[in-house]
Amino acid sequence: MKIETTDPVAHPELIYYRRCTVDLTNGEQKFEDVSCQNLEDVLGGFGRSFQLLAQRTISTAYCDENPLIVNTGLLTGSSAMTGLRTYFSSFSPIKGSKAGLPAAMWSTGSGKFGAKFKWTGLDELIFENRSEKPVYVLIKETVNGPQIELKPADHLLGLSTHKKIMALQKEYDNAHFAAIGQAGENWQNVYMGAVALSTENQLKTGEDKLRFAGRGGMGSMMGYKNIIALVAQSSDKNKPLTDAVKKVNRNVVKGGGSARLQPIKRGGGGGTWAAYDVMQPFHAVPFRNYRPQGNNLPEKLFRENVEKNYNIESGACYRCGITCHNYISEKNADGSRGEFIAKFDYEPLNLLSTNIGIHEAGQAGRLIQLCDNYGMDAISLGVTISYTLSYNERHPEKPLLNGATFGDYEKIRELIINAGEGNSPEIGKGSMRLSQSTGETSYAYHVKGLELPAYQPETNPGYCWAIAGAHMTMGTYGMLIREGKSDVDSWVKAITEEKLHIVGFDLIGLCKFFDITQGIGTQMVVDCLKSEFNLEIDPNKIKEAVRRAFLYAMALEFRQGYTKEEFSLPTEVWKNPNPNINLPNITNPEFMAELSEKVWAVFDKELEEIRDNNIS
Amino acid sequence: MQITISLHGVFRIGRFKEEVCDYPLGSTAQSIVDDLKISVTLLGIVLINGVHAAAEDILHDGDSLMLLPLLEGG
Ligand code: SF4
Repeated sequence: MKIETTDPVAHPELIYYRRCTVDLTNGEQKFEDVSCQNLEDVLGGFGRSFQLLAQRTISTAYCDENPLIVNTGLLTGSSAMTGLRTYFSSFSPIKGSKAGLPAAMWSTGSGKFGAKFKWTGLDELIFENRSEKPVYVLIKETVNGPQIELKPADHLLGLSTHKKIMALQKEYDNAHFAAIGQAGENWQNVYMGAVALSTENQLKTGEDKLRFAGRGGMGSMMGYKNIIALVAQSSDKNKPLTDAVKKVNRNVVKGGGSARLQPIKRGGGGGTWAAYDVMQPFHAVPFRNYRPQGNNLPEKLFRENVEKNYNIESGACYRCGITCHNYISEKNADGSRGEFIAKFDYEPLNLLSTNIGIHEAGQAGRLIQLCDNYGMDAISLGVTISYTLSYNERHPEKPLLNGATFGDYEKIRELIINAGEGNSPEIGKGSMRLSQSTGETSYAYHVKGLELPAYQPETNPGYCWAIAGAHMTMGTYGMLIREGKSDVDSWVKAITEEKLHIVGFDLIGLCKFFDITQGIGTQMVVDCLKSEFNLEIDPNKIKEAVRRAFLYAMALEFRQGYTKEEFSLPTEVWKNPNPNINLPNITNPEFMAELSEKVWAVFDKELEEIRDNNIS
Repeated sequence: MQITISLHGVFRIGRFKEEVCDYPLGSTAQSIVDDLKISVTLLGIVLINGVHAAAEDILHDGDSLMLLPLLEGG
């Protein structure tokens, strides 16, 4: 970024980001310093990429006109803790309206690729059209600024995400990597391909400890464009920590927001996995395709039970003190750590275990590992499988695919392998399309075509207004469980005011765990921007930009054919309420109708203005 | 007065799952949290007789108190 002002609100045009546009058909490249048009452009991430996507008329994701945008946030690569995010944006192959149009989508992950990308001197890389031959893209720092090279990738084809990265690591030092797996290569039949991002831990140990930009099929888009991997090669550019950033980072680590995620031995709650312990007393841990049965089977995956037989370690991304990851490995007879199995993050864990009837930690870990190595979104994969198992339970006489049922590890494993290799479009294209083909849509757990995360929809009517993945873009999950809020007005306020601010992190380059309750319109972020870039900004202006970006994305959903009726929960949730969930029923038709009316009363006017001014 | 306390998640480590404990009349949930040396930073949910409550709420003889850690995304 080139910054020639201290006031990004009054003078965004004096802030420039370095963009390279690559035409994949002929390799032509255009480097430019683009002047920002508004604060969303300055902050980056989807705030910037969606303004570009809105300029395109796209009726199918897999077309030449649909760009793939790789960018970072303003604080990616900075010394602010968690400043590691990379964003991948495009019209999505998996998320789409009933009108048949693809939704604009972004996906993001940590690891160290984002920081390395930023340190090459580039802020944004746009891929136009598609390459005839498989390539990987080298982005490297040189004395003359960032350079891009397209290189043949035949030797990487057919390898897993992890093996691709390890192969590239042999060729490039001082580099980090983003790669697709076999799933992304088979984009025709897999719409849920993820992009794997390398971590320091992975490169040092050789173990498949990756992070993912999973949601929305951005790995499939990479595959469609015939880009097999990205390599960002640059020296590390760690500035000495200023007192101001040191103080912020200390707050992030010690503050309430990240406390639950810290390792237990540091006095924390033990990572995202601990959500099991909090939700189970309410019988709200997703179970057998989101139908908790009021039993204690989910407890088999409580940490206290898993660590009897497996080794658990915590881990972190580069320089992150939050340390939110848990890794599960085999335990040797002498109690020492054996072979590494997989990460145990809450979403992939639940959706590839309890929610598909698997209650053994090692089996769960092996399924997560398969999903990661094939490079699929664990949420979309897990939920499409749980839909299949639920269908098979209802139709034992005429089951889908291999007839897998809940808990049948071997057959579920086979489903994942077939999907990852592109041999099972039924699974690979996601639950919306599969349920449309069977005609049984009521128990397909997606909203607007994107599968739900591992929080029961009964606990979160806010899912309907999430814009790019139901928990990462609407922070209302957990509100009923945590606060017991069951009145419509609290939910309206949460959806339309406080909880949409979670998307701010997907502009600026930070993880949500930086300050999940407050968002980015805070003194902590203001202090980082001042210290890192000498930018002066009122936190309320940041909040306004986040709100604009959120509503802009929603306006774009409507432009892509969504109707308000599609902002709804799966039918089973309200038509056949689950009596086992030990919480007030806030998803009944009356509650939802009143909530919907009140939410739209707030959003409609602002959406209209955005549509009139920006999105035709 | 007697309070049935159930603990969840990390709060169980070095403590218990469920116990009936004696506390003086007028005790609040917070005073029990302090007595059990539970981390205030980690405390997310307080339920008294199955209903969401505030830490400063006063307990009565025979009440059940459930203490759960924070739930903050996944
Ligand atoms: S919060 Fe977790 S995912 Fe984010 S940077 Fe830290 S360790 Fe990585």
